[in-house]
Amino acid sequence: MSEERIKQSYTKQEKQAVFDNEFLPHINSMYNFGFRLTLDPDDAKDLVQDTYLKAYRFIESFQKGTNAKAWLFRILKNSFINDYRKKTKEPSKVDYQEVETYYNSEDVNRQITPDLRVESLQDMIGDEISNALNSLDVDFRTVIILCDLEGFKYEEMAKILDIPIGTVRSRLHRARNLLKEKLSEYAKSMGYKNTEL
Amino acid sequence: MTPPNNPFIQADGKKATCMEMLQIIVDGEATSEQQEYFKNHMDRCLPCFKSYDLDMAIKQLLKSRCCGGEAPTGLIEQIKIQIKQNTPS
Ligand SMILES: [Zn+2]
Repeated sequence: MSEERIKQSYTKQEKQAVFDNEFLPHINSMYNFGFRLTLDPDDAKDLVQDTYLKAYRFIESFQKGTNAKAWLFRILKNSFINDYRKKTKEPSKVDYQEVETYYNSEDVNRQITPDLRVESLQDMIGDEISNALNSLDVDFRTVIILCDLEGFKYEEMAKILDIPIGTVRSRLHRARNLLKEKLSEYAKSMGYKNTEL
Repeated sequence: MTPPNNPFIQADGKKATCMEMLQIIVDGEATSEQQEYFKNHMDRCLPCFKSYDLDMAIKQLLKSRCCGGEAPTGLIEQIKIQIKQNTPS
């Protein structure tokens, strides 16, 4: 929590009330986020538990009346990067330079229309979409989780991820193209004809 | 008839591309002027028309298939116990 903010003062009861009424109701979303990041139920559990302990410990930096869910998601994301990712030594595979260039290049006007149609999506009633999401690199996965699963606004995402809004948008754009590529692979293997778009 | 001002024009005067507009619309970040403008645009732009449906469908599919699960039972209790242990009373 690098942001320097005015600390709130909470009595013990207030602390408990904020924790119970504003933090705990997000437990299912938090677990889903943890699971989608780590792709492991036990690691997800540890990550969520750790996040809530930190949230309680640093509750004074939580501004009453602000978005508790975004605040919690930010802590979880930071714990994931600082504790979990370090442990697993998994380097980030995303080349951000490349992402930015991609979005700002001429290519942006070229509609990437993979062989994917709304009709073939409707037949994906199993785990296809979930598997497609999980197959993306973690930084791409993260923006889709925050935006599409959890409905965060760009501005909230920028705060959660500590990146500029422009980067949120370009990363999201790239992530969706990769997801579409994955989905069209599935569609293909499900035997759809992709000749007409 | 004067053409309506493009509400997607950025502060730097650059016009948003189809993809940029689409993204703002799909993610619910558009103002009402932008929504109105895009609706008109979509009637004339086949790529946007097609992509809009696809992007919305993917967004809905993600929402319905990838969330809504529950945290393991007992997780809240475990958290509460740990907090109690770590808090001097
Ligand atoms: Zn267009």
